[in-house]
Amino acid sequence: METSRVISENGLEATPNGLRIDVRLPWYRSLPLSTVEVGEIVIDGRTIDPHRVRFELEGKSFSLPELADQVDTVWYVLDSAFLNVATDVPAGSGEHDVSVTLNLYPPYIRGLKRITRDRKTLRAL
Amino acid sequence: MNTNGNARPAAGLKLGTTLYALTNEFLSRRYSFEDLLAQTAARGTGPGLEVVGFQSIRGFPRITDEFAERFKELVAKYHLVPTSLGINADQEIRRGRVMSDDEMVAYHIPQIQAAAKLGFPVARYQYGAGPEVIRRLAPLARDLNVRLGLEIHAPQHANHPEVIRYREMYARVSSSYLGWIPDFSSTAKTVPPSFLDFFRSRGFPESLIELAMQIWHGEGDATARMMQYKQRARASGADEIQLNELSLIFPMFGKQDPRSWLELLPQVVHIHGKFFGFDAAGNEEAIDYEALLPLFRNFSGYMSSEWEGHMYSDADAFGMIERHQAMCRRILAAH
Repeated sequence: METSRVISENGLEATPNGLRIDVRLPWYRSLPLSTVEVGEIVIDGRTIDPHRVRFELEGKSFSLPELADQVDTVWYVLDSAFLNVATDVPAGSGEHDVSVTLNLYPPYIRGLKRITRDRKTLRAL
Repeated sequence: MNTNGNARPAAGLKLGTTLYALTNEFLSRRYSFEDLLAQTAARGTGPGLEVVGFQSIRGFPRITDEFAERFKELVAKYHLVPTSLGINADQEIRRGRVMSDDEMVAYHIPQIQAAAKLGFPVARYQYGAGPEVIRRLAPLARDLNVRLGLEIHAPQHANHPEVIRYREMYARVSSSYLGWIPDFSSTAKTVPPSFLDFFRSRGFPESLIELAMQIWHGEGDATARMMQYKQRARASGADEIQLNELSLIFPMFGKQDPRSWLELLPQVVHIHGKFFGFDAAGNEEAIDYEALLPLFRNFSGYMSSEWEGHMYSDADAFGMIERHQAMCRRILAAH
C-alpha cells in the first residue's frame, strides 16, 4: 500500500517562512514531473493558496504550474520531494494536521488521472 | 552477441520473482535493491529475476557501466537468472500530446539496449507502443538478442482487438524476436475476495459490491460491463467516489477461458504469474492455476510470481511469493 501514501512519517519541518512537507510519489515506478500535479494542500483546516507553494526535487524548485513542463525531470520512486509552503505567520513547531493531494497522469495509461489524498497529524521538526 | 544470462533454459516451466511484487518492501526503504535479491535467493524464490526498469534503476533507461557491472555481480552472487526487463510505452509524457511513431521508436531504443546491457533475454513491452513501432524495432531486437514480449494483461486478452492487431503484424513479420507475455489477470475466474474485503474494510456497502460482482460475472466486454455497473450504481444512489473506485475491478480482472492462451503458446517468451491471495486449501483465490499451469507445462522459460496485492495490502510480499511458488510446484508435480 506504499502507493497510497504521499506524506512521509516525520515528514514535517518548520522553516523561517512556513512549513516544508516531505512527500513521496504514490506510484510503483518513477515518473516525469510533467505527469505529476499537486492538488489541494490543507494545513490545520486551512486550504493553502497554490501560489504560496513551491515543489522541490533534487535541489531544484518549481512553482506548481511549472511542473507540467518538466518533461525531462524524473521523480525517482525512492526519492522524497518537498513542498515548501509559505504561511502568514511562522507555523512553528508542534503538531499540525496536514493533508496533501497528488494527481498523477501515468504517461502510458491514456486518460487516467489518479488522485491520491493523504492526511497525517505530524509534529514539525 | 550478448550471451551472458541469455541461455535458454532446459525444457519445462521455471519459476522466478518479479521485483514489482516487492513494491511495498522497496518503496518503504526497508529493503535496498540488493536486499531484495538477497531475500529472493535466501527464500529460494528465484532463480528467475524480473525487474521494472523505471522502478529499480535510477536514471533508467540510461545504464551506467558501473550499474551494469554491479548488477551482473549481484546476479552471480545470488545465483539468479535475469528473465525479463519491464519497459514502458510512455506515450504522453507531455500531457495532452501523444508521441509520434518516430518518437516512440526513439523512446524504446535505449530501453531495449538497457535490457541487452544487463543481460535480460526479454524486454516486456506495453500496448501503447503500437504494432508499427514494434515492427520497426524487431531488427534491433534481433541484433541485440533481446526478445520483445507484449504483456497481455486485463482488460485485454489473447483475442482482444488490440492484441489481434499485434498478432497480424507478428504473422507478417515472422520474427522469433517478437513474442507474448501472458499475464494471468486476463484469465481470472472471479475478483480476488481479498480485494473486495479491502473495500468492505473501508465501509463500502455490501449492496454495491454485490451489484458490481453480479455484473462482473455477466455478459459483455470489460468496458460494457463497467458502464452498465456505473449506470446502475448511480441509479441506486451510490456514492460517486466509491462506485468509481470499485469500477476498477472491470479493467483489472478479465474472465477469459485459460485455454485462450493456447493459440499464442508458440510465441510465448515469458509469463506473469499474477496472484493476489490464497484460499484455505492454499490455492489462488481468484485465478485457476490448476487450469492454467498445465497449459504451459512444456514452455521452456520462466514465470515470475507477480503479487499485486501490494496495491491494497501491507502483507509480507516475500511470504506471499513463497506460498505462490509452493502452490505452483505442487500443481506442476501433479500434472
